[in-house]
Amino acid sequence: MSFSRRAFLFTAGAIGGTLFTPLPWKLVDDSAIWSQNWRWRPSPQRGEITKAPSICTLCDGGCGIQARLVDNKRAILIEGTPSHPVNRGGVCALGAAGLQFVYASYRISQPLKQTKKRGETAGFQPVSWDEALKEIGGKLNRLHTENRANSLAGIISNRPSSMADLWTQFFKSCGSPNLFRMPDHSDSLVLASSLMTGRASAPVFALERASYVLSFGASLLEGRDSFPRNQSAYAQWRQQGSGKLIQIESHCSLTAAKADRWIAAAPGSEAALALAIAHVLIKEKAYDADFMSNAVFGFEDWADVQGKARKGFKSYVLEACAPEQMAGITGVDPAMIREIAKEFATHKNALVIWGSGSASHPNNIYHDLAFMALNILKGNFKADGLMMIQPAIPLAPMPEVQLDAGAQSSLQKPRLDLAQAKNTLMAGNAVYPFLDAVVKGGIYPIEMLWVDECNPAHSLLEPQIFETALTKISTLVSFSSYMDETAQMADWILPAPTALERYDDVMGIPGAPFAYYAISAPVLPAPAGNRHAGDVVLSLAKAVGGNVQGSLPWPDFQSFLKARVAGLAESAKGAVAESADIQLGKLKPGESPKTNFTSGDKLWEKLVAGACWYDAPVDPMMSLATTSGKVELACQKLQATGLDAAQDTIYLPHYAPLAPSGSETEFPLLLVGYETQILSIQYLPNPPFLTKMLPDTLLKGNDLLVQVHPKTAQPLGLNEGDQAKIKTPQGELSVRVHLTPGSRPGVVYAAQGLGHEAYDEFIKGKGVNVNRITEVQLDPVTGLGTTWATRAQLVRA
Amino acid sequence: MREKSNESSGKSAIGVLVFLAGFAVALIFGWVVFPELLYSQKSQPVNFSHALPDHQGAGCEDCHAFREDGSYTGIPKIAKCQECHESPMTESPDEKVLLEEYIQKEKEIPWLVYAYQPDNVHFSHAPHKAKGVECVQCHRDVANEQKNPPFRENRLTGYSKSTMKMDVCEKCHAEQMASNNCEICHK
Repeated sequence: MSFSRRAFLFTAGAIGGTLFTPLPWKLVDDSAIWSQNWRWRPSPQRGEITKAPSICTLCDGGCGIQARLVDNKRAILIEGTPSHPVNRGGVCALGAAGLQFVYASYRISQPLKQTKKRGETAGFQPVSWDEALKEIGGKLNRLHTENRANSLAGIISNRPSSMADLWTQFFKSCGSPNLFRMPDHSDSLVLASSLMTGRASAPVFALERASYVLSFGASLLEGRDSFPRNQSAYAQWRQQGSGKLIQIESHCSLTAAKADRWIAAAPGSEAALALAIAHVLIKEKAYDADFMSNAVFGFEDWADVQGKARKGFKSYVLEACAPEQMAGITGVDPAMIREIAKEFATHKNALVIWGSGSASHPNNIYHDLAFMALNILKGNFKADGLMMIQPAIPLAPMPEVQLDAGAQSSLQKPRLDLAQAKNTLMAGNAVYPFLDAVVKGGIYPIEMLWVDECNPAHSLLEPQIFETALTKISTLVSFSSYMDETAQMADWILPAPTALERYDDVMGIPGAPFAYYAISAPVLPAPAGNRHAGDVVLSLAKAVGGNVQGSLPWPDFQSFLKARVAGLAESAKGAVAESADIQLGKLKPGESPKTNFTSGDKLWEKLVAGACWYDAPVDPMMSLATTSGKVELACQKLQATGLDAAQDTIYLPHYAPLAPSGSETEFPLLLVGYETQILSIQYLPNPPFLTKMLPDTLLKGNDLLVQVHPKTAQPLGLNEGDQAKIKTPQGELSVRVHLTPGSRPGVVYAAQGLGHEAYDEFIKGKGVNVNRITEVQLDPVTGLGTTWATRAQLVRA
Repeated sequence: MREKSNESSGKSAIGVLVFLAGFAVALIFGWVVFPELLYSQKSQPVNFSHALPDHQGAGCEDCHAFREDGSYTGIPKIAKCQECHESPMTESPDEKVLLEEYIQKEKEIPWLVYAYQPDNVHFSHAPHKAKGVECVQCHRDVANEQKNPPFRENRLTGYSKSTMKMDVCEKCHAEQMASNNCEICHK
């Protein structure tokens, strides 16, 4: 095609003319506006902006939050409440990302019934609430009237709340002993505390008053207990130079990296190190001798009920726990142990804290006892000491359960795990023995399992046991708001509103010595298709009728919470914290605030407006309930449970590691799971906001990177980023390796919380679930599922 | 030679004409056709007459109010219409639409807003009001307006043709000695 001279001139004229019109300039301007305001990018709705206060219940930290709302309908931001004394305006990464759970594609909008094979998501058919409750209520009624309610079991969240109390009341009134919570460190702490103090309350710690903190693997800065509380205590130590943090942990976690000193003891040897420090304190007479002689039983040698002479803690530690004896186990130089012991003894306000990870699984009970013993040597159980026991909240007690004949007869049957494991000395929250009994076929079958606010199919260690147990259970009912791994396997899903759309409460903050209670009020209306699990329980109780209904007399969950708060008001104890200046963590026993509410209604009003109730800690020595009337280092209660051991150490805190299974030749390495502050590991999946923050050394694309020391990787021919297979006796997973001198040679560290097989494209398939290849070992005393390491093999893929 | 020269000057004249024709076509296209193409024309979902005596309060802020926190409410919500239009007050077809489509269905009216700034601009009415800027200095005077003007939407950006441009903001800020720093508007 030829381009004539005239055509050329016409075009030139047109181009010239265009420059004298708005066309090019307007297009450039509009393109800029267009490119900065693409319509498909998320943009907050326009409208009236308001703030609604509440309390975060995504973990049990008890933080005050406020949601920024548009026209009171659409939440666009979660931020901390500046006037709340726990977090003072701070909020953790998970809390800040909380809206991603409200506006998630994997939310369930109405009850679903599985019509095909279990696990087939396409088989879920929407049903009405009436139909769902009729069918599930019918099954429940049948079990109840046939005196077989013990065949109903439940697994619920481990967060202390009135909802948990309601579940307990419901199960008991129906006649089922088989209600369990998801495993938690508090499971073993409560039992250890009941051995030492006679009270089933977990030990708690005054971090804010400590000047020297010896942390045996506690993930203070990774989100354990109350994240903002730990952060403020740490900030205070740093800003005011008032505290020193010594982290004893086998790898360089965030807490280790930010500690004043990091001691990389061998994984699982922390209790041995604690006992070696106890040895130095005793040997050097650097312990609180007055307290030990006046208030402690079993420090010196003692005689048991049969009159048999038994060794005390002092003799055992002096004989068996010298730093030189423990050096081989801990890998820590005896001179360093002595130095730490000296520092611990010199600081007036020295404190021991412990627990692996964010306290999501129980510990070996003897190790919990060993760490408590070290605090006791320091006199930390005295009235102004730094270790106390968790105070009870004086809420209205639950009404006495009225049992009808059927419930009575089914309650006489023992809890399934206890019928199976007769050797268990203490009946704790033994989820694993229960699942094990279901798998092996217990003395009676479990026909219906209800799961509320937890996701055992992913977040239990060794979740395979849950999957296998399900094959023996005919009906699984999930109360989840989300299509998680457990809900996917359910026969019925009765979806609850999300945390921001319902009433809930927070009963105490784990690890915190002060008493704390708060109401989490909804900031958004609940969708029509979702119902609070509490309301569902109350409807089912009504459907069963009789004594079950009589034991749960409230019309709805909100009225139940109001009734509990009315009881709190009647107790006339504690006060509502109305300012962030209240230093909750610095309160000592006896320093109770002046009550500032006049009635239950007034207290309720203040609590739903986002304030919290608090009270002083309790003096542990005033509430002892042991046989000796003292703190028992030699746990006489163990003998009372029927244990008559030849070895004296059985009654004492001692180092008693459970050997991981598998041969050392086949599995020469150890696998240790770890947690980070930007990975949600329990009921909630990691929201995309947090996943985006994961470094490339933890998750690259969809690959999980495990941390390995270069010295471990070199003989295996592994370089940075190489694909590898990690095998344990429990299974194998494909991973990549990240070489870091921050990990201990011979140990492989893998982050927990990834590898979901449910939810949406932003969560599913990111990394692998290390829980699947982690070994759980049952504590011989408590039956609780503990873990510290799994034998492993790493090979180039 | 001469003939050749004549021929050449004739060619040049035609060339100039052709060039000017191209120039003129471009001017017409750029000034007349292009603006028509760039902006679509939409009508408001309901015609709202500001001129009706019942719609004229003591001033703009009777309906376009400021909240206690100083934020601006913009166009009133349907609840404000409902205060009077619970049932038909006239025989106006506009009122019929208002009642049947919005009030009875409890739906907000999806007004097309002439003055919305793009999302990358932070604009607050409060400081402008405090400085004494009158509404009509930026918005059209609606006191006698019976029919809402068509909403001319920029097909590229999605914003109204009457959205105030940055040069207007800057000019006034400069004249009033207000800051023209980027972060004043682009936060």
